[in-house]
Amino acid sequence: MNLNQAKSPKKLPVNSGFNKVRKNFLKNWQLYAFLLPALSYFIIFHYIPMYGVQIAFKNFIANKGIWGSPWIGFDHFTRFFDSYYFWRLIKNTLILSLYQLLLFPLPIILALSLNELKNGAFKKWAQTLTYAPHFISVVVVVGMIVIFLDPINGLVNQLIVLFGGEQIRFLDSPKWFRHIFVWSGVWQSLGWGSIIYLAALAGVNPELHEAAEIDGASRMQRILHINIPSILPTIVVLFILNIGSFMSVGFEKVLLMQNSLNLETSDVIQTYVYQAGLLEGQYGFAAAIGLFDSLINIALLITFNYVARKTSNNSLW
Amino acid sequence: MKFNKVLFPALSVMLLLAACSGKDKENNEVETDSKNFNESGMPIVNETIKLDIFAGKSATTADDWNNVLILDEYEKMTNVDITWNQVPADGLQEKRNLALASGTLPDVFYAATIPVADIQKYGQQGTFIPLNDLIEKHAPNLSKILEEYPDIKKGLTFPDGNIYSFPTIYSPEFQSLLIGAKPWIKQDWLDQLGMKNPETTDELYAYLKAVKETDLNGNGKHDEVPLSSVSMTRILHWISGAYGIQNKGQLHTLIDTDLKSGELRFFPIADEYKEMLVYMNKLYTEGLIEQNIYSIDVPQYLANAAEELYGSTQFYNPIELFGEDIGKDYVVGNALEGPDGTKMYTGVTSPLRGMGNFVITDKNKFPAETVRWMDYFFSDEGALMFFMGIEGETYEQTANGPVLLDKITDSPDGLTMTQELAKYLINPGGNHPVMVTDDYFTGSENAATDKEATKVLEPYLIDEVWPSFTYTAKENDNMSILAADLGKYVTEMQAKFITGDTSFSKWDEYVKTIEKMGLEEYMKIEQGAYERYQK
Repeated sequence: MNLNQAKSPKKLPVNSGFNKVRKNFLKNWQLYAFLLPALSYFIIFHYIPMYGVQIAFKNFIANKGIWGSPWIGFDHFTRFFDSYYFWRLIKNTLILSLYQLLLFPLPIILALSLNELKNGAFKKWAQTLTYAPHFISVVVVVGMIVIFLDPINGLVNQLIVLFGGEQIRFLDSPKWFRHIFVWSGVWQSLGWGSIIYLAALAGVNPELHEAAEIDGASRMQRILHINIPSILPTIVVLFILNIGSFMSVGFEKVLLMQNSLNLETSDVIQTYVYQAGLLEGQYGFAAAIGLFDSLINIALLITFNYVARKTSNNSLW
Repeated sequence: MKFNKVLFPALSVMLLLAACSGKDKENNEVETDSKNFNESGMPIVNETIKLDIFAGKSATTADDWNNVLILDEYEKMTNVDITWNQVPADGLQEKRNLALASGTLPDVFYAATIPVADIQKYGQQGTFIPLNDLIEKHAPNLSKILEEYPDIKKGLTFPDGNIYSFPTIYSPEFQSLLIGAKPWIKQDWLDQLGMKNPETTDELYAYLKAVKETDLNGNGKHDEVPLSSVSMTRILHWISGAYGIQNKGQLHTLIDTDLKSGELRFFPIADEYKEMLVYMNKLYTEGLIEQNIYSIDVPQYLANAAEELYGSTQFYNPIELFGEDIGKDYVVGNALEGPDGTKMYTGVTSPLRGMGNFVITDKNKFPAETVRWMDYFFSDEGALMFFMGIEGETYEQTANGPVLLDKITDSPDGLTMTQELAKYLINPGGNHPVMVTDDYFTGSENAATDKEATKVLEPYLIDEVWPSFTYTAKENDNMSILAADLGKYVTEMQAKFITGDTSFSKWDEYVKTIEKMGLEEYMKIEQGAYERYQK
């Protein structure tokens, strides 16, 4: 009796909702068919592998497989939190991420400046020049860094010595690591990152500029009061997306630049995961750290999305 | 309902994928087909069987082992058809771990340098099969060696009584190979400076200092590097003996015994170790050691050597590496005497060089055949084939034993001997599960200069060299974490103390950190392993 009573009021809306969905689906089935490849891609390559995350809570034994291995609860997590390296990893990861995040406005500034260029040929040339480093692979970039910063034969050190300075062992010193890492990243991605802002700027209504010009607005004023507000939604969305990968610093590059002397600042969560997982074969432990890392990222993403929605009405969802 | 129809294909794909990754658990019986298998003599099997081998490949060997003279020949002899899946030494560690975790195992891991802890772990889990009985029954050659050298057998056996692998053995009589890389010093620069070959750490310092301050290669620049190598670890193999550090050999990077009390000690916190670091710090900060020793790679090292920059070095035979012209000037460096009179040479390895270079997985349907296949190379005949190739094709018998043909030592294509040999053999280079003796070995440790160098160092070699210790399953669990953390911290701090990034006033803090990282537990486990080893 009770059961039926509880069911009946809910049943109707559910059913009608489903019918609506069904009708809509039948009518537009071609559109859904287009969605299918992308959907199955995500299911197969991004959702199915997720079942492997459980090894973070298991003592993984290879020949028993993931399902067959015994559960051990949060042991891997506690081991990580108790580890001597825990705070150092967190600190290094956070500092590197923050450092990179602080430079978030650089591509915007570049886009705004490029946008002001009136000489078409020069503008194209400048754009191409700033994009170019994006196409160099990380390995090559690190190779270039190593060659340029070599303490004896490197270009940079030779210049320093030429001007009477002392050779600096850039790559062997913990205090230089962050700067080299972040600024070489800026060099590589600045132009590429500005593309999307340039596109947004191209969409700014020219009438606004004309009106402002008639009212006597200077160039700077037009940038501040027309261009920036117009691309603000793009900026906010990209910023939130960036936050979503806050804790994932460019792993390959860190690893390539790492050596036993700069570990103090270059040891980050992701290189630690690589080391524990792939090099030492402790998959459960590595999965636990990776999961912890992802959870922080998700939490940050949701928080910032919420803040952005409340404050500026621009958000991912 | 239509919804289900759309989902169905996606679901079935999912299930299919899951099914593919989940199977292959059938063949667990370790049984031999008695009709096909021959207990002795060749071929090993009458009808061809196939094996799938995961092989670590060093850069110096042929790119495709499926097409190498001795392996082809051996296949004809044995009827064992092997598919070699070579993995370059560079990514070996990760590829091996992935293979072990994925469940798609090969029949054999060959030259894959599996760490002792992993042999234990996967042996316990049943991924690697115990070989005791198989070796006893089907490996007469290895059995003979193990009988002859009980220490090797002891080192190879795990606390549970099992042997899981065919080892790489360096003949205990082949000292030159046990030492491997040796210290070399530039005789013509010594002569120019009017100095004698340094015998003590102070004399070495004086020589290095003089090299730094004199333009000995005469190019008008002070570009000489007094002491270099490809890593700091190698340089320390030369220096540490003077301080009595690491006095149980290269394979133990954290423990040895206290020379006075004879007790097991964690040497990176010993006073002698600190003294050594102070000395190294002096050398490094005064520019007497290659300044980018922590990031140098072998090609860069060789390029510098070719420019005649090195006053002394610790690596393999200079004649082979730098060429006759530059290499001939180097003579072996002495074992050094430290400030308190200690004089020993500790850069030496145990004859049980590697334990993880041949393991058979539970997927292998022919373990007995596989064991026989491997055992042949431990025989005299097999070793000759492995190291020298085929008579008439690569070597000829002379009154002084087998000698490589001229076409190999003096390649018509202008290749080095190692490059030429790669067409026929899978040696030199790599961690092969064989017994290496000086009879057939073609590597540089067998060169005349190296053998002479060995004579100089031999009187000061440490008398007891430990093989890697083995642990019980329970110990192993803690050990892998403790050793990884401690090892990482010690390496990092060693570099910092030597380069001066961390001052020695932080020494006590360093020791305390090590204690906090679980030193006591680590030492308790090592003590247990040590006691087992002594029995």
